[in-house]
Amino acid sequence: MTDRITLVLNGSPVALPPDTSPTTTLLDWLRGPAGLCGTKEGCAEGDCGACTVVLEGPDGGRAPVNACLVLLGQVHGCAVRTVEGLRGPDGAPHPVQRALAEADATQCGFCTPGIAMAAWAHAREGGSVHEALAGNLCRCTGYRPIIEAFAGLEDDGAAPPSLPPVGGATFAAGGQVFHRPASLAELLALRAAHPEALLLAGGTDLGLLVSEGRQRPPAVIHLATVPELGAIAADAGGITLGAAVPYARLLPLLDGSLAPLAGLLARLGSRQIRALGTVGGNLGTASPIGDMLPPLLVLGATLRIASVRGERESGVEDVLLGYRKTTLAPDEVIVSIRLPRPPDGAVLACEKLSRRHDQDISAVGGAFLLRVAGGRVAEARLAFGGLGPMAARARHAEAMLTGALLAPACFADAAEELAQDVAPLSDWRGSAAYRLAAAQGLLRRLYWRVAKPGLPAEVHAL
Amino acid sequence: MNVISDKLHVENNKWIGTRTIRPDGADKVTGRACYAADNVMPGMIWGKVLRSPHAHARIRSIDTSKAEALPGVKAVVTARDIVDFPLDKSVMLGIQDMRWMCRNVMAREKALFHGHPVAAVAAINEEVAAEACRLIEVDYEVLPHVIEIEDAIRPDAPILHDFLTFEDKPSNIAGRMEAKLGDVEAGFAQADVIVERTFRTRPVHQGYIEPQACTVSYAADGRATIWSSSQGQFMVRAMTSLLTGVPQSNIKAIPAEIGGGFGAKTIIYLEPVALLLSKKSGRPVKMVMTRDEVMRATGPTSGSLSTVRIGARRDGTIVAAQGTFYLQAGCLPGSPLRGPVGCSFAPYEIPNVLSVGYDVVSNRSKVAAYRAPGAPLGAYATESVLDELAGKLGIDPLELRLKNSAKPGSKAAYGATFGKVTFEETIEAIRTHEHYRAPLDKTPRPGVKRGRGVASGFWYNAGGESSAQVNITEDGNVLVTTGHPDVGGSRASIANVTAELLGIEHGRVSVQIGDTSSIGFSNLTGGSRVTFASAMVVTQSTEKVITQLRERAARIWKIDPEAVTWENGEARPAGPNAGQFPPLTLTELAAKANEMGGPIGAGVQLNTTGADPGFATHVVDVEVDVDLGIIRVLRYTAAQDVGRALHPSYVEGQIQGGVVQGIGWALSEEYLYDRQGRLDNASFLDYRMPVCSDVPMIEPVMLEIPNPKHPQGVRGVGEAPIVPPLAAIANAVHDALGIRFTSLPMSPPKVVEALEGA
Repeated sequence: MTDRITLVLNGSPVALPPDTSPTTTLLDWLRGPAGLCGTKEGCAEGDCGACTVVLEGPDGGRAPVNACLVLLGQVHGCAVRTVEGLRGPDGAPHPVQRALAEADATQCGFCTPGIAMAAWAHAREGGSVHEALAGNLCRCTGYRPIIEAFAGLEDDGAAPPSLPPVGGATFAAGGQVFHRPASLAELLALRAAHPEALLLAGGTDLGLLVSEGRQRPPAVIHLATVPELGAIAADAGGITLGAAVPYARLLPLLDGSLAPLAGLLARLGSRQIRALGTVGGNLGTASPIGDMLPPLLVLGATLRIASVRGERESGVEDVLLGYRKTTLAPDEVIVSIRLPRPPDGAVLACEKLSRRHDQDISAVGGAFLLRVAGGRVAEARLAFGGLGPMAARARHAEAMLTGALLAPACFADAAEELAQDVAPLSDWRGSAAYRLAAAQGLLRRLYWRVAKPGLPAEVHAL
Repeated sequence: MNVISDKLHVENNKWIGTRTIRPDGADKVTGRACYAADNVMPGMIWGKVLRSPHAHARIRSIDTSKAEALPGVKAVVTARDIVDFPLDKSVMLGIQDMRWMCRNVMAREKALFHGHPVAAVAAINEEVAAEACRLIEVDYEVLPHVIEIEDAIRPDAPILHDFLTFEDKPSNIAGRMEAKLGDVEAGFAQADVIVERTFRTRPVHQGYIEPQACTVSYAADGRATIWSSSQGQFMVRAMTSLLTGVPQSNIKAIPAEIGGGFGAKTIIYLEPVALLLSKKSGRPVKMVMTRDEVMRATGPTSGSLSTVRIGARRDGTIVAAQGTFYLQAGCLPGSPLRGPVGCSFAPYEIPNVLSVGYDVVSNRSKVAAYRAPGAPLGAYATESVLDELAGKLGIDPLELRLKNSAKPGSKAAYGATFGKVTFEETIEAIRTHEHYRAPLDKTPRPGVKRGRGVASGFWYNAGGESSAQVNITEDGNVLVTTGHPDVGGSRASIANVTAELLGIEHGRVSVQIGDTSSIGFSNLTGGSRVTFASAMVVTQSTEKVITQLRERAARIWKIDPEAVTWENGEARPAGPNAGQFPPLTLTELAAKANEMGGPIGAGVQLNTTGADPGFATHVVDVEVDVDLGIIRVLRYTAAQDVGRALHPSYVEGQIQGGVVQGIGWALSEEYLYDRQGRLDNASFLDYRMPVCSDVPMIEPVMLEIPNPKHPQGVRGVGEAPIVPPLAAIANAVHDALGIRFTSLPMSPPKVVEALEGA
């Protein structure tokens, strides 16, 4: 017996046939069975944005997502809007579509449906135009007319969809099972019974297996509907966020002393990626280039980990074991992450080095937490990603900096010492020598970050 | 936006030069526009290509029996099914040699690159087709491979093709091209200063967002219909015909909306294979490339190894220039040698020039055209050397270019003697531009340096065969059909021209791209030719229609047609009859068409000429993070002679888009191979094209200097904009750091390495 996947598509409820594979990508379903070919496939890996559709929240929020990375089981109970569902009065083009046409913001037009959807979300959500557009590649226009069109968009004031809440569900078809547990107890029981199942949070990493790799995972456990994993709350001491909370929901809470982390996360993928991707996912996959890991390390974040056997708390450093390896037992899941605010007087700096400013995989990531007192560095926590098989603290450099004068030479010394901490890998994103040199550059620059906080925070500052 | 207008060829324009909404705009923003992969047919099945896992291997045998036995498989195709073009006789279609194309579409004797098609399957769905591909057994004899130019031209290099010889020895050098003027050694003897440098560029991909796709239906009567994404439906028809043996008259090629091409879709990969699969299976077959297949197996442009030497007198007069350009052809001959060999020195009047290009094969996918093919990599070398020369001579780099610029009557080494030359105007436009005059703070903050650079560029531009048909509908509106795919807004330009000439509202003109069975032969969309050529044939067709309309009015009024004028969308009696009759509108004449002589419409088929070359000069400011090696483009201004901008937005779009592709080429894009000869970054995740935050708002300066050989003064604009950026950015980086980068892309690792070595 299987549940049916239901969703609201362009304002109309749809129930999918019971034999639908729950790991079909939303893109394949839209272009195939749904017959909506306006949504385009340019890369099937969440990079070009041609398949951007919008998930309409019951609160009126609009989350642009890459349909190529979203599995049908994930959109159960969601409202999806595609370019075909954007219409003005009397079936005329929607004002957003008209604005793009009138600004001559379309040339070959293949990226345009995705850009129209990104624009429609942006018109409501606001923020920087460049950030709103960073997840959409256009190869014809040089972006200028699109940016100009985005700058003048207004929200259409359309009412949010009415979405009846859906509880837990299990979709089984063609030898695949897709679990949507509705409680932590249910999740832990499923995890214990199916340690081989894919744990799916946002799917920005695992979605590639299906979208690009054309795999059919036999068992998936989706985490988004477990209340404990979807909760987020900020207090004076920090933020507690469920492991399945997407970056887009974390970002607005990163104010004050955590603002530098917001600056980093605004460059994590694109809006489309941040609408789905989660901190829990970054931890669970333990990729050395996960952008979030260095900040978690220096902030001293702790994890609540649970299994049918009980719960435990662990520091991030104790969970990371190696290249894409964690100390999590097969039956364990990360429930939530506690992100403490930096101590009073400490300075947090977050860095990401990549060929492109946005929507790129880091060659080197870094996070630094520094406490300065009496012209000296009282405490230094330095962590890097992308330099070795896993993100890690740089203990030698930390020791060198601790107690040192707040002076460029001391940071240069710490940068030299960094060579003791890391054994960078070489790949086409950068040689070991470049990675070390760039990481050392980040440390030298840290002096300016701390001593002259008024300087533009990033080389890419627009 | 600067628009410097000369006298216009059409006076008092109402539509030409205005920013009308493009005819295809609504379909594109609403998702209705139909691209090749959107086509669905009853009974359609899916085709999939099996590709070589080796960079270089002899194919001993292919056993397809297990794949054919798999339930759901409807057809299997190998090279045996493709028409063979023997190696000893060249058969050309345009610039493409069918000996190479038949081997590119399907590996024949050898698999020549990782990703080379070896067989193809059609099955009831994609999954079964993919499974069938896995069941095909190919017996390979793996051979040593070679990827880089320097390795491929070594005497002991693995030879790709036994039949290729150079200087009487087996070689990977497949060809040589030369352009020569004067005596270059005698020229250098007169030089006071000589600069010589060697430059390297990596292959870069055109990066169109729409992967190649097609659907082909082969009917029992031997007629085939092809829907596909290409830059020329007539090219699709001809090449598919040659590779399958189906006569052209039996093939209808329907151009789908094209999601970007930039030159790459001037050749085909899937169509002949899909046709043969359809023929064998009796079902329509759809094939869509994945991004991995696009990156791995379609043609990027050539990587290059170039040495340029330029000599000048103390006063800045260039007396000699020499260029040697080795270009990567990929696995089969056909580098765009004409780009660097011809264009590199063409903007300058240099008495002694020797420009030589070599076509080098290696185990990479065969290159395809990319926007001004080959010219950017040549200009990168030449314009970098000019920058250095200007520094050595103590002359402003724009002054140096101005002093040596080609003039009317100048002879270019590639053979042309220029008529009107508008290069100086582009230099002046930059020299007097606020951007060039604005002060630049070269050390705005610790760890950051800024610099400014200039460079110029040249592109031939093309005319060629085009057809148009202009028909008046019974209700008095206008339908224009042309024969080349619209990649950059040509329908918008044509609508402007037609509405202007007929004196009617823009909205009454519809423009469509006809299929091969409904419009006369039209050559590819390429060479910056389409707006030039189609505006010409549409103008002539519309003028014929106006003549018909005047004749109809004359017949109704029973006066001499010569005494009828056409103004503001209506026929008016003129001369002795002026004012005698009320005017007849287009709608009225259309309503009376059948009783007064039949349908109204006219077509013109022409081999268009008069597409004079395009010149461009660019200035760019960059910022370099010296700790991290990151280069950021802060400001970019591009001046170009555009002739006449029929629709300014799409002229600007060509300039802005071309420059941004150039920025990607200069800073972040490159093909990277591993030791096994496999492409390491065959995805948009790893092949880094600029996103919006990587580029500034490009400022185009359109110089509207009408081309006297065109009815509206149009000059091709699409390709010249990508020629200067590589050198302009490298020159700006030199200005910032004092380091001359002779290898692209200037990626952060390379910059850090250079800074450490400095």
